[in-house]
Amino acid sequence: MTTPILEIRNLHARIEDREILKGVNLIIPPGEVHAVMGRNGSGKSTLSYVLAGKEDYEITEGEVLLDGENLLEMDPSERASAGLFLAFQYPIEIPGVATMTFLKAAMNAQRKARGEAEMTTPDFMRAVKTAGTELNIDTEMLKRPLNVGFSGGEKKRAEVLQMALLQPKMCILDETDSGLDIDALQVVSKGVNALRAANRSMLVITHYQRLLNHIVPDVVHVFSDGRIVESGDKDLALKLEAKGYADFDGAAA
Amino acid sequence: MPVRLGAAEDTLIAQLNSVGATAEAERMTVAGLPTRRVESYHYTDLKTLLKAVPPLAEAANTASAPALRVAGAYQLMIANGVVQSSTTAPAGVIVGKAEGSALTSRDDVLVHLNGALARESLSLTLESSVDPVIQIDRRIEGAAAHVADSVKIFVADNASAVILETFSGSDAAHVGNHATYLAVGKNAVVTHITVDLSERPVTHFATNEYQLAEGARLRTLTIHAGAGLSRSQVFARFAGEGAHGDFTGLNLVADGQHNDITIDIRHGVAHTTSQEMYKQIARGQSKAVFQGKIVVERDAQKVDAKMMMQGLMLSDTAEILSKPELEIYADDVVCGHGSTCGELDESSMFYLMSRGITKAEAETMLVRGFIAEVLDPIEDEALNEALNGIVDGWLLGK
Repeated sequence: MTTPILEIRNLHARIEDREILKGVNLIIPPGEVHAVMGRNGSGKSTLSYVLAGKEDYEITEGEVLLDGENLLEMDPSERASAGLFLAFQYPIEIPGVATMTFLKAAMNAQRKARGEAEMTTPDFMRAVKTAGTELNIDTEMLKRPLNVGFSGGEKKRAEVLQMALLQPKMCILDETDSGLDIDALQVVSKGVNALRAANRSMLVITHYQRLLNHIVPDVVHVFSDGRIVESGDKDLALKLEAKGYADFDGAAA
Repeated sequence: MPVRLGAAEDTLIAQLNSVGATAEAERMTVAGLPTRRVESYHYTDLKTLLKAVPPLAEAANTASAPALRVAGAYQLMIANGVVQSSTTAPAGVIVGKAEGSALTSRDDVLVHLNGALARESLSLTLESSVDPVIQIDRRIEGAAAHVADSVKIFVADNASAVILETFSGSDAAHVGNHATYLAVGKNAVVTHITVDLSERPVTHFATNEYQLAEGARLRTLTIHAGAGLSRSQVFARFAGEGAHGDFTGLNLVADGQHNDITIDIRHGVAHTTSQEMYKQIARGQSKAVFQGKIVVERDAQKVDAKMMMQGLMLSDTAEILSKPELEIYADDVVCGHGSTCGELDESSMFYLMSRGITKAEAETMLVRGFIAEVLDPIEDEALNEALNGIVDGWLLGK
């Protein structure tokens, strides 16, 4: 059997005294796109932050393997270099750091961590231009400080641009549809779909089924109270949309 | 009744007497060095901080490596207070010497001491726009020495220039008390940068006095990245309508250091504008001080002045102190000041690291971002790069 790209076993995490993840189990084989759906506050976003290595959370139990490597032992930059990518629900604005400078630093940091040579500036520019064209991102936008003054759509397109440039093994998309109008949603989804590949897996976190019309998942999981309570094919998302979460987690909406 | 004097004051009195500055010696005997009770030295109590003063400097006969090289710059040097002969000046520049200090007398101990002890001033007259960056390389060489040196610059009407002054020298417990007087002519455009790159045992004092004529545009940038104890003073006076000043600074303070930037900006005439933007970064157990005063005189209507201090703490034991003051005697002006202080933003760190950027590099990027608005306006590419290099060096723990 091939090694899964992501394997989460009985993951528990808390912030201060509050347990938020209460035994998450999830296996994502290479090339598959899994969706995690759940109501607000169910712990979906926490799962994405814990996987990316945000410091605020304490892991109390469980293990996470990225392509067979122990993810929880790594700091956020090592996880990224190992092939994990989190597309943020709210990308952070960083004044004073030009987007282009940031992109180059990120690409070269990952190459360095993997023992590869740094990218030359012409190669880098070419890669950015190619990836940017697909996402309607012009170089003018990339001269601006990172995410500062970007519209909701521009921020999400910039996230997908980073994903395209960094070529991760495992992409986590946290509420990528939030703040997007229909047109922007299409551009972003098209960008994400273009990155689907046999050796790349994705975890799409959302609470609307709408996104999953554009990024069609292989497996849908229902997330409730810190764990996965049901899994199924893409029709599960339609059922959720029709009936609401109450049928699945027993709680009132 | 005279105050009790310490070793530093005794030495200063003897030195003042030795050059015949008896009035200044008498003043020092009566008042001593300023303590925290003197408002303008509230956070930099010289009586406590300045423990000893080395002998007055003799002419330098050794030279350390230049602290900063800027490609294409025209270089002048003052070593141990003595103006050195220079290469042929570029078009529009007249180089000379003047006797004594260039500063206008005012009630400040550093100004008094420089006035009494500086034997000569490097005098620069810029008759027209000067293309290359002018670098004045000010050194204190050899064994520990007390140096009072001085520079006097006149920029003619309509001329433009970029002037960089660097302070460096040998690794000894020098006390440098430096002075620069810069008069900016009508509609002249001047950038004046001072960078302290002295070794850690050095005490660095610098007083910069500016006069702005009608329509003048001045940008100043004060960088501390060297001496263990430093104080840079900026005294600026707007003397002609339509003049604008951008006063900026970067106070980089590491473990064991106490660095102070104190500015006093006087809008003496109407329709003059200024922006003050100072950034302080402190790490280890250190103290960064900024005191900013803007004075708008009675007839100076329609003045627009905004002052900002932003502090970044890189450790829990660092102190960043900030004292903004506005003194406004006119009734139709727009003046404001602000002061903020914080640590590196955790979510920004996480975001950068989540893209593979290491912790150290992410910190550097955020610090560079923090100071960008101070360094970015320096347009000369080689100069901008050199200044960024100083910050990078500081971040790496120089």
